[in-house]
Amino acid sequence: MMGGASSRRGLWLDPRTKILLLLFCILSAMMAPSLFYELGLVVLIGLLGVCFGKWKYAWKGVLFYALIVLLTLWIMDTMTGTWRTMFIAFLGLFHKVYPCGMLSGIVLSTTKVSEFLSAMNRIHAPKKLVIPLAVMLRYVPTIQEDWRFIKDAMRMRDVSPSPKGLLTHPAMTVECIYVPLMMAASKAADELSIASITRGIENPKPRTCLVQIHIGPADLLAGICFAAYLAVGLYWKGVFG
Amino acid sequence: MSNQVNSLKKGLTVKDLVTTGIFSAIFFVFTLVGGLPFAPNPVLTFYMPMGAALLCGPIYLLMVAKVQKRWSVTILGIIMGIIWFATGMHWAFSLGYIGMGLIADLVAGAGHYRNKAINLLSYMLISLGGIYTYVVFFLDPDGWASTMLKNGTEQSYIDTMNASAPSWLLVVIIAGTLAVAAFSGWVGGKMLKKQFEKAGITA
Amino acid sequence: MIELKHVSFAYQGQEHDGLHDINLTIADGECVLFCGRSGCGKTTITRLVNGLIPQFYAGELTGSVLVDGQEISKLPMYQIAAKVGSVFQNPRTQFFNVDTDSEIAFGIENETRPPVELAERVEQATDDLHIRPLRNRNIFELSGGEKQKIAFASVYAMNPEIYLLDEPSSNLDMTSIQELKGHLRLLQKQGKTILIAEHRLYYLMGLADRIVYLEQGRIEKIFTPEEFRGLPRETRERMGLRAADLAEVRPPQVHPPVSSPVLELRDVTLRYKKRTVLHRISLAAAKGEVIGVVGHNGAGKTTFSRALCGLHKDCEGQFLWDGQAMERKNRLKRSYMVMQDVNYELFAESVEAECSFGIRNPDLTLAASTLEELGLAPYRERHPNTLSGGQKQRVAVAVSMICGKDLLVFDEPTSGLDFDSMTQVAGLIRRLSELGKVIFIVTHDFEFVCRTCSRVLHFDEGEMPGDIPVVMDALPKLRELFSVKVNGSEGDREGGLGHSDGKER
Repeated sequence: MMGGASSRRGLWLDPRTKILLLLFCILSAMMAPSLFYELGLVVLIGLLGVCFGKWKYAWKGVLFYALIVLLTLWIMDTMTGTWRTMFIAFLGLFHKVYPCGMLSGIVLSTTKVSEFLSAMNRIHAPKKLVIPLAVMLRYVPTIQEDWRFIKDAMRMRDVSPSPKGLLTHPAMTVECIYVPLMMAASKAADELSIASITRGIENPKPRTCLVQIHIGPADLLAGICFAAYLAVGLYWKGVFG
Repeated sequence: MSNQVNSLKKGLTVKDLVTTGIFSAIFFVFTLVGGLPFAPNPVLTFYMPMGAALLCGPIYLLMVAKVQKRWSVTILGIIMGIIWFATGMHWAFSLGYIGMGLIADLVAGAGHYRNKAINLLSYMLISLGGIYTYVVFFLDPDGWASTMLKNGTEQSYIDTMNASAPSWLLVVIIAGTLAVAAFSGWVGGKMLKKQFEKAGITA
Repeated sequence: MIELKHVSFAYQGQEHDGLHDINLTIADGECVLFCGRSGCGKTTITRLVNGLIPQFYAGELTGSVLVDGQEISKLPMYQIAAKVGSVFQNPRTQFFNVDTDSEIAFGIENETRPPVELAERVEQATDDLHIRPLRNRNIFELSGGEKQKIAFASVYAMNPEIYLLDEPSSNLDMTSIQELKGHLRLLQKQGKTILIAEHRLYYLMGLADRIVYLEQGRIEKIFTPEEFRGLPRETRERMGLRAADLAEVRPPQVHPPVSSPVLELRDVTLRYKKRTVLHRISLAAAKGEVIGVVGHNGAGKTTFSRALCGLHKDCEGQFLWDGQAMERKNRLKRSYMVMQDVNYELFAESVEAECSFGIRNPDLTLAASTLEELGLAPYRERHPNTLSGGQKQRVAVAVSMICGKDLLVFDEPTSGLDFDSMTQVAGLIRRLSELGKVIFIVTHDFEFVCRTCSRVLHFDEGEMPGDIPVVMDALPKLRELFSVKVNGSEGDREGGLGHSDGKER
């Protein structure tokens, strides 16, 4: 998830633009008039990925989706009955989520946490939301570190840190996982609060931000492309016509 | 105890916000761990909210016990909504978490965040945040599949939908999620009493 | 100027760590060191000055704390933050951001300085503290010492007049401590006031203007550095203080001869994520041997300990016990690691339950006698989380004894411990050695190594260039290894364990 600090390659977009693109993408996927429209959307996202220098991700993503489209067409043609209903339900969700997921993969891997928080500041999100959100993003990798230690500790106590262990000794395994994790979280909550209070986080004035974000021509272009694609879809569906 | 009554009036402190952030992170990771095995599978995908509800009970209850103030649970819901939005999940998933977060907060607040049974109920409610994607599907199965069907609607599909799946499946999803959440919350309550209160990490 | 007038404080629902009638005036530009046993109240004094008492920690406070004539308890925290900068003990929980640049800027962002000034100040801090290589990095990739430097830089960028440091060296290796010392010297040149609460005293001897010794919440005595250094060793140890000068710390003349080896490593190669961490290590150890493991961060100490305990998978070569090959599963059964953050290995709701947790058919009499032996019997009903750091460590050791483990690895067992606790751990390790356990200790603590270890393994660049006995004859070599300087003859030159770049694995 969101890399801490990677050097910029290729295109750079303002996080606010990225949020807008995601929104357009969700709307497009929601009202998509046909599978080919969706495929077009995925190709558009692939192109965006290429602009960000993510060639591999882009073509793999598009290719995989094309295969799923073929699979969907085949299922539609051949299957009947309950299986068909089930697949329609599942694939319905899949087609709605896939383009957004693919776009979000690009967004998350190209946005630094600090840029995202800067964007939150710029849109004047309340501090009561920005602080927990910042802490949350910072704490997810910590959970990963904690889990590594806990796994080691469990193995040394002859408790298996696996789904099998959970099934054979549920109560014990649950304690092994939750207790150290919650103790660490609770300690971290105290110490992190102290470290931020003593550096003046309670200042009522809005914070400034080292990372400066700005909307440039690339942002406009990307925004227009996705908005236009959404408009095409709406027109296709007859909303405008 | 008199101290805490005072702090109730003061609203959320930085410590409360940091606590909410940290527990949201754990809540998110455990939701993912519980729910992800279900997602990429046509048969199980509908039971995803149950998987997501299975692991978070202890986390939610400890967070409520540590903060004991209004808005913390709402913030948890909003953060989950933002993260689901950013990871490209279905829109109803995001909105579901935000809405149910607010409702769960109001419910837990009715017991001043100290009544264990009510806190458990509020966990069951926030767990329902994951079901709205499916509610959208059952409300409009036609619109759901329109992308895939050549002529917009297809009668046989609508018929089978109406005949077999919908009525009971939605009930199973809702009741199942509530039951799983109740179980998870029950385990969480026991753990709270046995471990966390004794360890002195609750407020 | 900082003035404490008749200050008394008691934490809510807690007996220790309080203060009684403290009177102290600290002039601008002074460097004051607070020392004493754990729980003597030295950390509490720093909390009075940075306003955490009474604004974060609840309790009963009387008297007044003035900074530049202003009552601290009446100022909002963010205004205090501009005057008083604080650096804490645990580098893992001090940062708010994921990347280093934002973290350095965190404090000045809160001061709402304009973006141009933010960038200038971050640059300034980078240059002054020589942390260019740490810029624009993911904090999760940094070692403990590097994280601590970023935390320091963040406070430095705010440019407060007063710096408070609460046990800043607890999680640092020798090189990082030398660098911290350099940073403190820089502050002194700038005329800043510095308050430090610390257990490790040697690195502060050239810096402190006054040394305040606290006992049970009272100022017992205030020393000048000369007076303090003149204290006889026995007096200092009776006061519960660690060495003031590492040059006086000496290993024993000889160690009793060891029996024939029981543990043997033959050509062991360890890889981490396909990279070779340690290459063809061979060594032998006898029952009762206590072996130190040293090396700079990233030298492979952690991977080595995890491999010994059967926790690391990517190993080549042979581990033998009593001449029998020991597979990973066997090693896991036979060994136990006492982690640096021992909280990760405590799972149960009471000390007593911890001793039988996860053990099929636990031997309750053995558990009871072990608790008795380690002085834990009075705490058997308590939740492990409510114990002190040293006590938690002893609980973990008790578990290893009850499980009948023969091979013990301690990871930094003395971080954050005072003199009394350190001697207690040393005694505990001696006892384990008498019981015939093979013990490895990963540590940076020269004083502790001289007290406990019979030899030291030195890891560097994926090799094991040294296997040095801890005896007087090897003193120069040991000193070089732990970057111990003798009477300033080598000046403040850095050396020994090299630079602490790269992440601890």
